[in-house]
Amino acid sequence: MNLRSFKALVFPAAVFSLGALGCTNLTVEPKSTVTEANVFLDASSYRAFMAKVYAGLAVGGQQGGDGQTDIQGIDGGFSQYIRLYWEHQELPTDEAVIAWGDDGLSGLVQDTWAVTNPFVVAMYYRVFFQVGMANEFLRQTTDAKLSGRGQTSATLKAEVATYRAEARFLRALSYWHGLDLFGPIPLVTDADALGSTPPKQATRQAIYDYVVSELNAIKGDLPAPGANSYGRATAGAANMLLAHLYLNAAVYTGTANYAGALTAAQAAIAGPYTIDASYRHLFQADNNTSPEIIFAVPEDGLKTQTYGSTNFLIHASCGGSMNAGDYGIDGCWYGLRLKPEAYNRFGPGDGRTNYFSNAGNGVAINSISNFDDGIKAPKFSNRTSTGAPGQNPGFVDTDYPMFRLGDAYLIYAEAQLRGGGGSRAQALAYVNALRQRAFGNASGNITDAQLTTDFLLDERGRELLWEGQRRMDLIRFGKFTGGTYLWAWKGGTKAGAATDTHLNLYPIPANELVANPNLTQNPGY
Amino acid sequence: MRSPRFILGALLAVAWMAPLRAQAQGGTIRGHVNDAAGKPLSGATVSYGSRNAQTRIDGLYVISGVPAGRDTLRARLIGYTSMARSVTLSAGQTVESDFALTASAVSLAEIVVTGYGEQRAGNITGAVTTVAAADFNPGRIVSPEELIRSKVPGVQVVDNNEPGGGFSIRIRGPTSINASSEPLFVIDGVPIGTGAGGGLSAGRNPLNFLNPNDIESVTVLRDASAAAIYGANAANGVLLIHTRKGRVGAPQFEYTGSMSASSVTRLPNMLNAAQFRAAVTQYAPNNVGQLGSANTDWFSQVDRTAFGQEHNFAVSGADASTNWRLSAGYLNQDGIIKGTTTERISLGLNLEQKLLKDRLNVQANLRGSRAKDLFTPGGVLSNAAQFGPTQPIYDASTRTGYYDWPGNSLQSADNPVALLNLASDKGITYRSLGHVRAQYALPFLEGLRANMDLGYDVTRTDRQSFFPSTLHGQLKSGNGGSDYRANQSQSNTTAETYLNYGAPLGGIPGNIDAAAGYSYGWSHAEYPYYQANGLSTDLLGGNGVTSARSVVNFQDIEESRLISVFGRVNYNVNDKYLVSASVRRDGSSRFGPTHQWGTFPSLSVGWRISEEPFMKGLGLSDLKLRGSVARTGNQAFSNYQQYSAYLLGADQSQVQFGSTFVPTIRPSAVDPDIRWEKSHSYDMGVDFGLWNQRLTGTLDVYIKTTHDLIFRVPVAAGTNLSNFVTTNIGSMKNRGLEMSLSALLIPGHQRGLSWTADFTASHNTNQLTSINPFAGAAQRIQTGGIAGGVGTLIQVLQPGVPINSFYVYQHKLGADGKPIYSTKDLDMYVDQNSDGKINNDDRIPFHDPAPKWMLSQSSYLAYHDFDMSFTLRSYLGNYVYNNVASNLGTYSEVTRGSPYNLHASVLTTGFQTPQYFSDYYVEKASFLRMDNITLAYTLKYHGQPLRIFGTVQNAFTLTGYSGVDPTAGLNGIDNNIYPRSRTFTGGFNLRF
Repeated sequence: MNLRSFKALVFPAAVFSLGALGCTNLTVEPKSTVTEANVFLDASSYRAFMAKVYAGLAVGGQQGGDGQTDIQGIDGGFSQYIRLYWEHQELPTDEAVIAWGDDGLSGLVQDTWAVTNPFVVAMYYRVFFQVGMANEFLRQTTDAKLSGRGQTSATLKAEVATYRAEARFLRALSYWHGLDLFGPIPLVTDADALGSTPPKQATRQAIYDYVVSELNAIKGDLPAPGANSYGRATAGAANMLLAHLYLNAAVYTGTANYAGALTAAQAAIAGPYTIDASYRHLFQADNNTSPEIIFAVPEDGLKTQTYGSTNFLIHASCGGSMNAGDYGIDGCWYGLRLKPEAYNRFGPGDGRTNYFSNAGNGVAINSISNFDDGIKAPKFSNRTSTGAPGQNPGFVDTDYPMFRLGDAYLIYAEAQLRGGGGSRAQALAYVNALRQRAFGNASGNITDAQLTTDFLLDERGRELLWEGQRRMDLIRFGKFTGGTYLWAWKGGTKAGAATDTHLNLYPIPANELVANPNLTQNPGY
Repeated sequence: MRSPRFILGALLAVAWMAPLRAQAQGGTIRGHVNDAAGKPLSGATVSYGSRNAQTRIDGLYVISGVPAGRDTLRARLIGYTSMARSVTLSAGQTVESDFALTASAVSLAEIVVTGYGEQRAGNITGAVTTVAAADFNPGRIVSPEELIRSKVPGVQVVDNNEPGGGFSIRIRGPTSINASSEPLFVIDGVPIGTGAGGGLSAGRNPLNFLNPNDIESVTVLRDASAAAIYGANAANGVLLIHTRKGRVGAPQFEYTGSMSASSVTRLPNMLNAAQFRAAVTQYAPNNVGQLGSANTDWFSQVDRTAFGQEHNFAVSGADASTNWRLSAGYLNQDGIIKGTTTERISLGLNLEQKLLKDRLNVQANLRGSRAKDLFTPGGVLSNAAQFGPTQPIYDASTRTGYYDWPGNSLQSADNPVALLNLASDKGITYRSLGHVRAQYALPFLEGLRANMDLGYDVTRTDRQSFFPSTLHGQLKSGNGGSDYRANQSQSNTTAETYLNYGAPLGGIPGNIDAAAGYSYGWSHAEYPYYQANGLSTDLLGGNGVTSARSVVNFQDIEESRLISVFGRVNYNVNDKYLVSASVRRDGSSRFGPTHQWGTFPSLSVGWRISEEPFMKGLGLSDLKLRGSVARTGNQAFSNYQQYSAYLLGADQSQVQFGSTFVPTIRPSAVDPDIRWEKSHSYDMGVDFGLWNQRLTGTLDVYIKTTHDLIFRVPVAAGTNLSNFVTTNIGSMKNRGLEMSLSALLIPGHQRGLSWTADFTASHNTNQLTSINPFAGAAQRIQTGGIAGGVGTLIQVLQPGVPINSFYVYQHKLGADGKPIYSTKDLDMYVDQNSDGKINNDDRIPFHDPAPKWMLSQSSYLAYHDFDMSFTLRSYLGNYVYNNVASNLGTYSEVTRGSPYNLHASVLTTGFQTPQYFSDYYVEKASFLRMDNITLAYTLKYHGQPLRIFGTVQNAFTLTGYSGVDPTAGLNGIDNNIYPRSRTFTGGFNLRF
């Protein structure tokens, strides 16, 4: 070894070259899990992610039966979107009671929910889970992101463009639910980066305006109605959502827009939908073939399994002396019955009561927890229109009809009566079309003089019973809170008691106020 | 990165400028500084006028550029009496002047290796304790951690009683909840990763690969200022382990061999056959028909007297330029529960070679081992507790030949003997650790050394368990037999380069000792496993693959990178005023992109008052005040937390698009800004020594606050992809004091009696200060799973109380002092919130498992050729939840389909239903234990020393705790823990 050269060069050089060359790149990406970095290199991932945004409505998690839950801190089946939404729109109204003692349920039934009610908490986070998924889908599918990943196929780009419109629809749908249930909530969009900066609270007006503008912007980009788009959002779905928003605009913003509601309902009616000849078919295991359904959340006994949605409605509506097999299921959960007011609205001859069961103790609900009290209303069934059972008695095939043509008819009629334009004769014709189906003939038809808004509220209670609309309808008619209209167990007493108007909105969860200091609780809580 | 270059540049600037002054023209004074025996002393300061020099490793000093004249030449080294003489120098002259310094308090001069450098013991400004081999715990020591138990104040060493059982170390209390609280291990300068034992193992303890017999010393960096040079891994303290080297002289062979026998000390107190029969007769008459006529003590069927042997062989040597040691070890130790064994074969080589006129020092350090661990197959101990003592062991009429309760009911215990003999669970771990280091004294600047260190750490493991389908437990669960195999591997590589510079400063007084460098670490690990259930045949055992009802194959690859730059400056003025500052900047792949780099600074100062003139003549050989402040980090949590993983949906959670079903993917909610947990530490200490260090002591008080603890918390809706996310939130605080005293009580002149006694005491108070700073006071997280119902949790994380405090009902006591039993909770428990009902709101935090005081006393005695040592240990204020009593101390257990045996506490309490949350089961577990006592005799054998020794470990334990062991692991839950053994070891050590 040449000592001198070693001294002079080699060792210091080695020391420093190692130091200088030693990289400072700290990025080490996971190899055994699918991450943002690699998942979208596979073109099929875009469809799979789109599917998750829809799945947020259909199932509670990533495993069959709501395992690997989407939101934490509550049972997966309890936290399923449709189940929560249905419970929030139906249980506090004159339509339904549920027998179970799960913490928080009786608060919903008796209008005494607290800021920590686990169901209210879960509903809030469900809304924002959907918003979060949709936002992330939109962030991950921009043109820049696609080309950055080398995804340049025109077919894929076109497909993704449609998906983006659908994601925006689903986000608008959940913002509508949030706006309706919780009022002023944060407005977070794909323009906001993921992160921990708590968002500001938006006004109801701002959310309303945002949802309306989104729906108008995407209407043309949604898939066309048809067999290939069943279960997906179409322009018809967007019109129905707009119709509901406009119909309730006075509640949401203080300014009515019945003309908008009428126009949107008209646009939905103009779609390729027809009134199903069979009212029952709308709620049966093969309701995917119903021509009336504009937007459904599909369930499947083998491929889409949840303890929420229609599986909950069918199981929970069954009990007592009822035979589970009659509804295509493996057992009854002894939960849901009608409140007396809902039953008493129906007149004789109305075929929409044909499936009711009065086994047990009759109409009155003396005890909420006793399934025998009250009329059973197994409206949804896991048997098909031909009587065949669904594929799996544990998980039903019945889809949840979120928007259907019959609803559009009633929106048209109400908007017309409230001065939204259109034709009164057409309104009467639409109402009578539904009644004719219900009665099987013209015997139930009403006259022009009978067509009032109050009649329409009752008619919605009959036609759309247990379809997740009642609370919204009662609020629009000013009857949900206060003392003008009492029903059994309203305000916590069997006879019904007046309630405070602050209950028109659910509270923002106590946890959320902690996590987001920008938020102000709704008045009265 | 800008900073690494900046730090290196700054260091170079210092290094270049300092010597310029020294190279001016003038006379030269040179010479050697030796001790009284003629051994060269390095690092001694020699001053002449305003000029200073330090002696090199060979004791040589050179002061050049000295102007002509007459001045005083002084030589000084801490621990030695300084000397001065007058020297006259004419221009251009070279004067030779040697010194022979006499030792005064030589322990102050001992060299302590700290992170990336070394210091004289007396000049250390942090809280650092070195335990040398002579002070290690003796006896059957399988794991290196056990060597220092009770030897260092503030350090809690916890094992699980199994042979070589998994160890945990807590230095100054726990600092984390969801990341690791284990210290960093650094072996011969190479950090081996964080987490328990710093690595992977298919056995009980990753650090078991290191043969304790090869360890020279263990240095514990207790306070953060000492540890901060290790940055993001240092929050839990650092253990520096140094392995043995050769001694100068002819090659020497050394053999140490020992045999041991261990026996059980205490077992759970269960009912005997007659008591069991009486209980069943009274409380579950329907079950009487199932009872047999046997009288089986199930624990005596599964425990044993365990034997062990250990052989260590080493050969070593050293001369002026080479130092080497080669060692081999074999250990085989059975556990006191049948089926538990640990075995280790280890090899080690240390080699050090000086080259280039001693300027280049190359070291290589290689060690490898195979550790084989046999475990009791799951549940032997719990089944021994539960199985009815009236039942026989064998039953010739069954398929297995062992008796089991009829009917394969889920409500019946499994025969523990059948489990022991038919099922198997074993792990084999191969691990090798090695590194080469080159240290080069740069020729152009005296005192500047460049270091390069390359290291690897490779582990390969094989964990395998087999449960045949005929086992009762498999039949009753419907599992149908299971075969599990995991072949995990991990390789870590490290590269470090750094510069050291140590020299007197020109112009201003004092010496500077600086270090700066760069470190790179890469870890790659693979975790595949295979699990088969529902085996078609048991014939192959765990040796082959049979067709099975369900087979799971899994693979996970985990990688991480840690890149660091670091620097440190020690400034020492006359061994009197001492300052040390360090900074480390760590970049970790575990941190989110916005927090990839973290900076961890420290500052410590010391004032050796004993050097002040006014302190002279008081007999004080040392009195030093120390103070430090530092920030350290903890990154011992899982990889990839900042990455949103897309979870694939199952076949049954698809979505319908038209008539086709589409599987889904879901991104997970993550905090992309995840970062290290950080600790701020403040330490004040005093070191003192009297009568030339015959009595020494230290006292430290500290506060350590940890912030940014990792928790899973609710997040503001809309900001993330779910409603909970793991993020940095929450904080906790540890406060305490530590004291140690060491005294040579009897000096032992002329081989008479000598006695050295060490005493340590430490006190720590832990308090969780917040979980979520936005939330109110009511927040709490329940933790601490116990036997007795899935999800039953007995502990709580709640701000204001120590972590893992027991969370219980306050049990009312009757007039007889026993807890009241009633079918009404209100009659039994205190209604804390007076709402007329007993529910979760009435549970209160009540004591915690951590000892409030840890005391120890170690004594070392010698008389002529005899020597003796013992270690006494006491913990005060630690509490244990007796889960065996709470789970089985209730008559309801005999009403099962097949009755469980009962814990004898039921005879006192009379509980007919389980009262898991009663504070009755939270027992004070303070204890005094004779950890070990050794007696040895040394004789001459062919002119060489032969030492014969005998040791008793766990000689006795005095405690009020009623369960099997008051040191029931860190979490303080005694749920059929492995019983503690008493071990007798005898052996000899021979050199030739």
